[in-house]
Amino acid sequence: MGEKEELRNGDYVAKKPKLLKLSISDPEYLLASEFSHHEPGTARINNGSFGCCPESIIAAQRTWQLRFLKQPDHFYFSTLRPNLSKSRAVVKTLINASDLDEVSLVDNATTAAAIVLQQVGRRFSQINDTVVMFHCAFPAIKKSIQAYVTRAGASVIEVRLPFPVNSDSEIIAEFRKGLSKAKSNGGKVRLAIIDHITSMPSVLVPVRELVEICREQGVDQVFVDAAHAIGSVPIDVQEIGADFYVSNLYKWFFAPPSVAFLYCRKSNSSSSTMHHPVVSHEYGNGLPIESSWIGTRDYSPQLVIPTIIEFVNRFEGGIEGIMARNHEQVVKMGKMLAESWGTSLGSPPEMCASMIMVALPSKLCVTSDDDAFSLRSHLREKYKVEVPIYYRPPNEDDGENEPRHKDGLITGYTRISHQIYNKVEDYYKFRDAINQIVENQQVCKMLSTK
Amino acid sequence: MRHFPLLPLVTCSWFYYLTPDPFPFLSKLQTLQLQPPSPMASQSHPYLNGDSNTHIPKKPKLSSLSSSFITEAEIQSEFSHHDSTIARINNGSFGCCPSSISNSQQHLQLQFLSQPDHFYFSHLKPGILRSRTLLQSLINAQHLDEISIVDNATTAAAIVLQNIAWSFAEGKFNQGDVAIMLHYAYGAVKKSIEAYLTRAGGHVIEVHLPFPVNSNEEIVFEFRKALEKGKENGRKVRLAVIDHITSMPTVVIPVKELVRICREEGVDQVFVDATHGIGCTDVDMQDIGADFYTSNLHKWFFCPPSIAFLYCRKSSQCLDLHHPVVTHEYGNGLAVESAWIGARDYSAQLVVPKVFEFVDRFEGGIEGIKKRNHENVVKMGQMLAKVWGTNLGCPPEMCASMIMVGLPACLGISSDLDTLKLRTHLRDKFGVEVPIYYRAPKDGEVDLVTGYARISYQVYNKVDDYHKFRDAINELVGDGFTCTLLRG
Repeated sequence: MGEKEELRNGDYVAKKPKLLKLSISDPEYLLASEFSHHEPGTARINNGSFGCCPESIIAAQRTWQLRFLKQPDHFYFSTLRPNLSKSRAVVKTLINASDLDEVSLVDNATTAAAIVLQQVGRRFSQINDTVVMFHCAFPAIKKSIQAYVTRAGASVIEVRLPFPVNSDSEIIAEFRKGLSKAKSNGGKVRLAIIDHITSMPSVLVPVRELVEICREQGVDQVFVDAAHAIGSVPIDVQEIGADFYVSNLYKWFFAPPSVAFLYCRKSNSSSSTMHHPVVSHEYGNGLPIESSWIGTRDYSPQLVIPTIIEFVNRFEGGIEGIMARNHEQVVKMGKMLAESWGTSLGSPPEMCASMIMVALPSKLCVTSDDDAFSLRSHLREKYKVEVPIYYRPPNEDDGENEPRHKDGLITGYTRISHQIYNKVEDYYKFRDAINQIVENQQVCKMLSTK
Repeated sequence: MRHFPLLPLVTCSWFYYLTPDPFPFLSKLQTLQLQPPSPMASQSHPYLNGDSNTHIPKKPKLSSLSSSFITEAEIQSEFSHHDSTIARINNGSFGCCPSSISNSQQHLQLQFLSQPDHFYFSHLKPGILRSRTLLQSLINAQHLDEISIVDNATTAAAIVLQNIAWSFAEGKFNQGDVAIMLHYAYGAVKKSIEAYLTRAGGHVIEVHLPFPVNSNEEIVFEFRKALEKGKENGRKVRLAVIDHITSMPTVVIPVKELVRICREEGVDQVFVDATHGIGCTDVDMQDIGADFYTSNLHKWFFCPPSIAFLYCRKSSQCLDLHHPVVTHEYGNGLAVESAWIGARDYSAQLVVPKVFEFVDRFEGGIEGIKKRNHENVVKMGQMLAKVWGTNLGCPPEMCASMIMVGLPACLGISSDLDTLKLRTHLRDKFGVEVPIYYRAPKDGEVDLVTGYARISYQVYNKVDDYHKFRDAINELVGDGFTCTLLRG
C-alpha cells in the first residue's frame, strides 16, 4: 500500500501506507476483520452494557502494555504522562471543552460518580440539603448516593421518568415537579444528577433544557451521567452547561475496558476541590493530574484514544456517520420487532440514540426483575441471543395510559442496541426466539433455571 | 454493564483452568503474544546452593506434570520481553511479569471481549473467588472474608484511611486523635493520610528512623518514643501505619514486634503497608497480628499490573470498610464490593492461579525464590560496597530482596533532584535502571556517603547486571564526575 514520492533531487520517500476505508454498511466485513473475536453464533444486541473493542484497538493496546513491561521505569518517567495528555486533548476536542484542565480520565462512570459525590458530600452543611435524581438512575449511582450523600446527612428526591415516554415535555414536567418537591421543605438542592441517556429503561433525555431549569431554580451543581453518550450522540459540554459530565469510552467509542472521561467545568469553583479517592503522589495537583497516576496499574485503555480516532475516521462520516447509521438501524429494527410481536416502542425515534426499548408480548408474563433475568438467561442459553430485559411495574398513576398490548398490559421491554458489527439477522434471530417462546406458550416463570 | 438485578453467587469449580477451553476459537486470535518459553532438557539449576532445608510450600502443587524445575534458559525466555540493553536492577518499583502469565492474561481479556455478558454472569465472580482462596492460604488468613482484591496498595490505603475519615466526621474519633506513621512511609501513603486523616482533624506523628540502620532495636526504640508522644495529653492513638519493608530507603521493619507494642500501648488499629511483602519476605497474618495488611502482587509475585490484596482481620473492631468506588454491591462486605467496581479489566486479578503454577516451577516455590533473591542481593550489595569503598544501608538480616548500597561520596549527591538526575543519567548513558536515594547529612556529620542505590534481585537478574552498574559508577568516579555537572 505504500507509495513512493519522487523528490526533486531523486530521493524516494515512502509514504505512510493508507489505511483501508471501512464500510459502515458492511457488518460482515467488519465482523471478519475487526470483530472476529466476537463469539460466533451469538446475536449480540446488547452493545449498551459492555461495549465492544475492534482488533485494531486491541493490538494498539497490547503494544502499550508491552512497552510498559519492557522497561517500566522508562515508561513511567518518559512515556506515560505525555501520552495521557494527548488522550485528554483528543477528548477535549471531541466534547468541545474550553480547557484541557477540565478533562480527566478515569476508569468508568461509577468512579466519576464517587469523585463528584465525595466532593458534594463535603459541602453539605444543613439538615435540609437535598440531591435530586431520576428514579431509574443506574443502580451504582443510587448506591453511591447512599454511601456519600445519605450517610453525610442529606436527603434524596427521586424524579419519576415517565415510561413509555412520548415527548421531551413529559420528562421536563416531571423534573420540574421533582425540583419543587426538593425545595418545598426549605432546603437547598445541592446537586441534580441527570442521565443523558438512561440505562434501563433507555431514553434520550433533554439534558440541555433540564440543566437550564436547574440554573433557574438555584440548584448548586449539576452532574450529567452520560455513560452511554459518547459515540451515541454528539456532545457539546459548553452547550449542555453542566458542572460535571461523565461518559464511558468503552461502550460506544470502541475503547477497551475500561476508560471514561470526567469533565469538570472550570468556572465551577469546586472543580479545584475535586479529588480522586485513590490518593497518590499527585494529590493536590488537580483532578486530571491526580487521575493520571493512582498507583501502578495498566493505563493502556487511556493511551489508545488517539488510535480510536484513527479507527473511526476510516468510516464514511467518521463517528458522526457511525452514530447516524446506528440510530437509523436501531429504529428500523425496533419497529420491525414491534410489528412482528404486535407491540410498540418505548419512546419515539427521536428520543433514542443507538438503543431503543421494544415492548415484549404480554403473554410472556414478565412480572418481576427475576422474570426479566430468567428470560434474558433463557435467550442467551437456548437461543444464543444476548439482550437485556426490563420489567416495567404497572403504575397506578398512569391509569388508562398504561401501555397495552392486544393480549393485555405490557410489563416487559427489551433494550436492543445497534453497533457497527450488527447484522439484520441478529434481530431476526431475536424476533423468532420470542415468537417461538410465545408459540410454546411459555411464560417467564417457566424459564427460570433456579 | 448497566442493568441487572442481584446476582446469585455461582460457586465454580476449583479446576476452572483445567476444564476445556470454552472459547477455543480465540486461540487463533492472540496477536502480539510474548514468546513462550521453549522447553529445554533439564539442566542443573544455577541458583542451587546445596541447601537441603528449602521450605516446601503448604499448598499442594497444582501441576506435577514434570519433576524437573524451570531451567535458566526458560527463565530468560519468560523475561525475553525485557529490554536487553538495560541492566534492570529495580524490580522493587514496578515488578515484572513472565510471558506465560502475560499470555494467560491476554487470553482472559479476549474471553471477556468475546462475550462480555456471559463472562460477567458466569466467569468473573468464581474467578475472583478462586484467586482470593489461593491468597488466603498463601498468607495464612483465617477467613476468606478477610481477603479483598484491589488494584494496588495505594488503593488499599485509601480504603483504610477513608474509614478513619468517616470516624472523625461521625464523631467516633475526637479532633486531635493521633495516627502514627514512619517518616519513610511511601509518598502516596503520606498523601493519603493527609487527605483522609489530617483533613478530617486527626494529628499525625512521624517515627524518625535512623538510616543507615544497624539493628531492630534502633527501630523499636524510635517507635516507642513516637507512641509516647502520641499518647501525651490523654490523646488516643487511633491508627499506626507501619511499613513491612520501607520503600526508600529500604529496610525490613520488625512488624511483629511493633504490632505487639501497639497492642500493649492501646493503639486502636494497626495497618501494615507491605507493598513489597508477598514474594519478598514472610507474610503470615496470624503471626504478624495486624488489623489491616496490604501487599502488591505485581511487584514480587509475578502478577501483571496491577493487583494487590487487602487483608482485614475479622476480629477487628472496624468491619465497616468500603471501596471508595461504590456500585450495586455496596454493603455486601469489602471483598464483594472490591470484586465489582464497575466495568473494567479484571484479568490481572483472575490470572492468580496461573501465577501459583508459575511459582511452583521453581525449586522451593516462592520460598525458594525469596531465599535465593535475598542471598543474591546481599552478595551483590557487598560486592558493590567493597569495590566502591562504601557501606550497606543495613545489615543483611534487615533486608529481603532489595538492599541499599552507598555510592562513592565524590559523586557529590546533595539533593533529591540530584538523585533523579543521576538515575536518568545512568539509564540514558549506561543502560542501568536503579533508583537512587539522598541521605541528608545530620548536624556534625562530615565526609558522609549521601547517596545510596537501592538494588533489587529477582529471578531474571544476572551477575552481569550488577557488574554493569559497578563499572558505570567506577567510570563516573574515574572521570571526576559530580552531580553538579547535571544541574542547570
